[in-house]
Amino acid sequence: MVFEIQISRFKASDVIWTGNYSTTVTQNQVLHWSWESELPLECAIHFVRMRTMVDDARIPVPRFWSNWSSWKKADAQNSLGDHPLYVFPKDKLVEEGSDVTICYISRNHQDNISCYLEDVLTFGKQLDQSVWAFELKNISFLRKTGTNFYCQGQGVPEGVVLFVSKVLEEPKNFSCETRDLKTLTCTWDPGDDTGLIQLPSYTLFESFSRKKTLCKHRNRCDWQVTQDSQEMYNFTLVAENYFRKRSVSILFNLIHGVHPVAPYNLFPKNVSATNATMTWKVHSIGNNSALLCQLQLLGEGKVIQQHNISIRVNGEYLLSELEPDTEYMARVRCAYADHFWKWSELISQNFTTAEAAPSEAPDVWRDVMFVSGHPTVTLFWKPLSKVHTHGKILFYNVVVENLDEASSLEVLSVPAPANSTKVTLNQSSYQIHVTAHNSVGPSPASTVAISGHPGNENVEEGRINGTEDGFPMSWKPQSRNATGYVVEWCDGPQNLPCVLQWKNLGPTTTGTVISSGAFRPGVRYNFRIYEISTKRMAHLLEKKTGYLEELAPSYNPQVVPNNLTSHSFTLSWKDYPTESQTGFIQGYYVYLKSKAGEKCHRGFEKTVLPDNSVCCKYTIDNPDQKTFVMKDLQPESVYEFFVTPYTSAGEGPMDDFRKVTTPDEYSHILIHIILPMIFCVLVIMIACYLKSQWLKDKCYPDIPDPYKSSVLSLIKSKENPHITIMNVNDCVPDAIEVVNKPEGSKIQFTGTRKSPTETKGTKPAYLDLLPTEKNYSGPGPCICFENFTYNQAASDLGYCGHFPVTSQAPHCPLGPLTSPENLLKTLEQNYMNSLGEIPAGEANLNYVSQLASPVSGDKESPPTNPPEPALCSEYKMQMAIPLGLASPPPSENSSLSSTTLLDPGEHYH
Amino acid sequence: MDLRAGDSWGMLACLCTVLWQVPAVPALNRTGDPGPGPSIQKTYDLTRYLEHQLRSLAGTYLNYLGPPFNEPDFNPPRLGVETLPKATVNLEVWRSLNDKLRLTQNYEAYSHLLCYLRGLNRQAATAELRRSLAHFCTSLQGLLGSIAGVMAALGYPLPQPLPGTEPTWAPGPAHSDFLQKMDDFWLLKELQTWLWRSAKDFNRLKKKMQPPATAVTLHLEARGF
Repeated sequence: MVFEIQISRFKASDVIWTGNYSTTVTQNQVLHWSWESELPLECAIHFVRMRTMVDDARIPVPRFWSNWSSWKKADAQNSLGDHPLYVFPKDKLVEEGSDVTICYISRNHQDNISCYLEDVLTFGKQLDQSVWAFELKNISFLRKTGTNFYCQGQGVPEGVVLFVSKVLEEPKNFSCETRDLKTLTCTWDPGDDTGLIQLPSYTLFESFSRKKTLCKHRNRCDWQVTQDSQEMYNFTLVAENYFRKRSVSILFNLIHGVHPVAPYNLFPKNVSATNATMTWKVHSIGNNSALLCQLQLLGEGKVIQQHNISIRVNGEYLLSELEPDTEYMARVRCAYADHFWKWSELISQNFTTAEAAPSEAPDVWRDVMFVSGHPTVTLFWKPLSKVHTHGKILFYNVVVENLDEASSLEVLSVPAPANSTKVTLNQSSYQIHVTAHNSVGPSPASTVAISGHPGNENVEEGRINGTEDGFPMSWKPQSRNATGYVVEWCDGPQNLPCVLQWKNLGPTTTGTVISSGAFRPGVRYNFRIYEISTKRMAHLLEKKTGYLEELAPSYNPQVVPNNLTSHSFTLSWKDYPTESQTGFIQGYYVYLKSKAGEKCHRGFEKTVLPDNSVCCKYTIDNPDQKTFVMKDLQPESVYEFFVTPYTSAGEGPMDDFRKVTTPDEYSHILIHIILPMIFCVLVIMIACYLKSQWLKDKCYPDIPDPYKSSVLSLIKSKENPHITIMNVNDCVPDAIEVVNKPEGSKIQFTGTRKSPTETKGTKPAYLDLLPTEKNYSGPGPCICFENFTYNQAASDLGYCGHFPVTSQAPHCPLGPLTSPENLLKTLEQNYMNSLGEIPAGEANLNYVSQLASPVSGDKESPPTNPPEPALCSEYKMQMAIPLGLASPPPSENSSLSSTTLLDPGEHYH
Repeated sequence: MDLRAGDSWGMLACLCTVLWQVPAVPALNRTGDPGPGPSIQKTYDLTRYLEHQLRSLAGTYLNYLGPPFNEPDFNPPRLGVETLPKATVNLEVWRSLNDKLRLTQNYEAYSHLLCYLRGLNRQAATAELRRSLAHFCTSLQGLLGSIAGVMAALGYPLPQPLPGTEPTWAPGPAHSDFLQKMDDFWLLKELQTWLWRSAKDFNRLKKKMQPPATAVTLHLEARGF
């Protein structure tokens, strides 16, 4: 039968849908047919009618439709309450991406109702006076608690919750396995969660046995293997939710899907230094089926041995070729032997092999220092590698064997982990043997030989350049019998304590590359290459020095300017250490700036500094030259200089220029002439001061004071108390008596100076000091000195001695008689003689008064110049000359003259 | 204020008299039982703590419900038929309540709210939200016990639940999911109002149970003296 069905909405005449429904009918059968409206039925009255027609091949055409049935009304609004607002559909479940129509029925037509999807105002279509519909397209999942749609007028809001489900995915990676041939476990990846509280269901169906089971988990399902020895299984997994049904199938052979359970009780047994037996157990599968087990041995995380063993219940395997004192991990896993499909999970067990004696001699090197002629040897050794220690090294034995004394052995035990020891030796030859000991025994010995005398250290040092790999170096063998070579160096910079490093090389090696993680650019490293003789003696072969990478100097020298002149100065930086720089110093740059001119001096070249200033630069290409003379400078000019070293990597940092101002040209005269003069004057003054007494004695000795004479006191006390000293005031010289006046001679006192040549040849004249009445002009203001040398007797007698005066007399009279001592002696003698013994007429002392006025010596001629008082203050050295000596008859040639002949303006002191 | 020598002597005499009478002041003479004061204070503190805790929980839960429930200005009119105990009450009515009635209403309200809250806990989908709700329920249970303690200290009997009126959480089909969300919204809102009202109630009770102010003043003066 075919049924044609019509559905109309709101009014019967508004047909919205027409469709056919065909089915085979029997008598009295009740048919069910359903139609889903996109608009919730609560929002509109629906009408339905149908007609039918026989659709059977047995009934011949023409066939006719029956009449339409009457319209049947479906009115859900009748069941609503009296709420003013209703929103439908209530709590609808929809799939993500589908379209939904929501409607509301408002009983209050005056109410202005707004509808919102979540918080977004939504506009709908009015279907009826009180019904509005909202079509939501391609709806998406927001949250598990659903998407809210609500409408609100004046009253309480009314709404619905749309529960949106994500599309159910097809299960992926569906597979089954068994661990014990009793239970099957099928697993799959369910994909993304649908996002609903209601989870999809998963059902496992097996087509051969036609059994099915509802899975308890969304990604796994267990299936009990029946005892009917079914091997093949055809599983279908069906995932189902409200909207969709997804299924996936596999054909599964039970034997091909055995995944054994992990083995257990894995233990090491009989562990020695090189062997160990591992034992383990497995869970039986089926009727004690055979299992293939894989035993792996791991050292330091890597698989070093792997063995496959076929077992049923208990496993056992002997692991050999193990290293002593080494921690290993043994692990085992098993698979079904009849058909390999999957390994079981691993189980593992750690064990450590027993110790053995170290297998290799320690690498030993030495550093020899000669203290007071005795070698002090510091022995260094490298710790043995883990491969060779075979246990924990407990101590090192150092055996010192004196080769010159056969029975001399010294044994030192150095506890680990020390890696050096110091031994002081005599000037003999020694062999030193070093062995490392663990709890089992010693290692083979390492031997070094020490000579009692320092070797040849005078080896020229060569330069090497470092590369990225290290320091490549080569050497020339000295002897053919070398047993090897050793390169030693210090890992740290020169100013740090040396961490001695060395590298042993074979006898056929003549070159190597020394590399170390400690090497740094800009540090100078020194290498010494030794040749090892057959007697294990080391001879220095070569020295090398170099940088891994030369850097520009890190600092500049402290330059001192000196020898500053008006045209030059000298720069000096002798304290700058070239050895400890960050590269080989190749020379220095001298920068010079002058304000005077822009032209550079000879040898300088113009250069532009980083600050764009222009200056002159001089290159010193000798690193040992640490002075520089700046020449041809302008006086009184300011020069700025700066010295920086340079290496192959560049020059030192730019520092500030230092200023030097050249002095003016004449300043050196001050230094070279005036200062020495001042010095000389000072020396003379000091000499004069020191020799002043001597000068005084020579040039103007003190006039003896008769009153202070010791002789006087002697005389007074012993001889004659009446003897007094003549007072000069008592002696009034009023006349000059010419004792021996040669005829024709005439001394003229013109008051003018006469030169000695003029007076030369004049006869000796005697001046009479006795006063004459004629010429006496009364006591003048003359100062008369009391002179002990006066002969009082003579004075008393009015006799004044005469003194032959030569023209040279005013100068310091030299000779034994004129010395004060001799004079005094003579005087004393004369004086003693004069005490009554000497006749008056024999007075032999002539006196020339030093206060005598330059009066005319000629008795006959009146004095042209009377004595002037001013002249009396002049002091003339008095002289007492023994008569015997003074009285030889003056010859014609004797040039004597009286001091009174002196010009008053000319004094002799 | 002008004090004369005579006044000073008078004040001293007065103070001595007061000190003599201090042991007789009941509020200062409590040596053993501290009374309901501390437990009222604790109840008040717990109320304030729950207020704070609910602010955080409500934020998370309303976000879980989605808009419009998590919007701050969403304040719909309440449905006519209510099962939740209403905290809002006329001010005059509230003032006229005695201590016993106040405490009884608090106790009954929280008993109901706690039951609804446990239903909320069962519905929550996320584990974190369930943990937060469970913690809040435990705290609210503590508040209920604390109110019972205060009532016992004051000698008030606990209200007996009438048979058949025990609130039950029933996710009935008659209730649409939107209305259920609305109920959850109102539950949290009502809980907030009740906690606010309780804080006010316990504060009032706390002040009422405190000793008279004059006695305290005298006590302080006595200590200072």
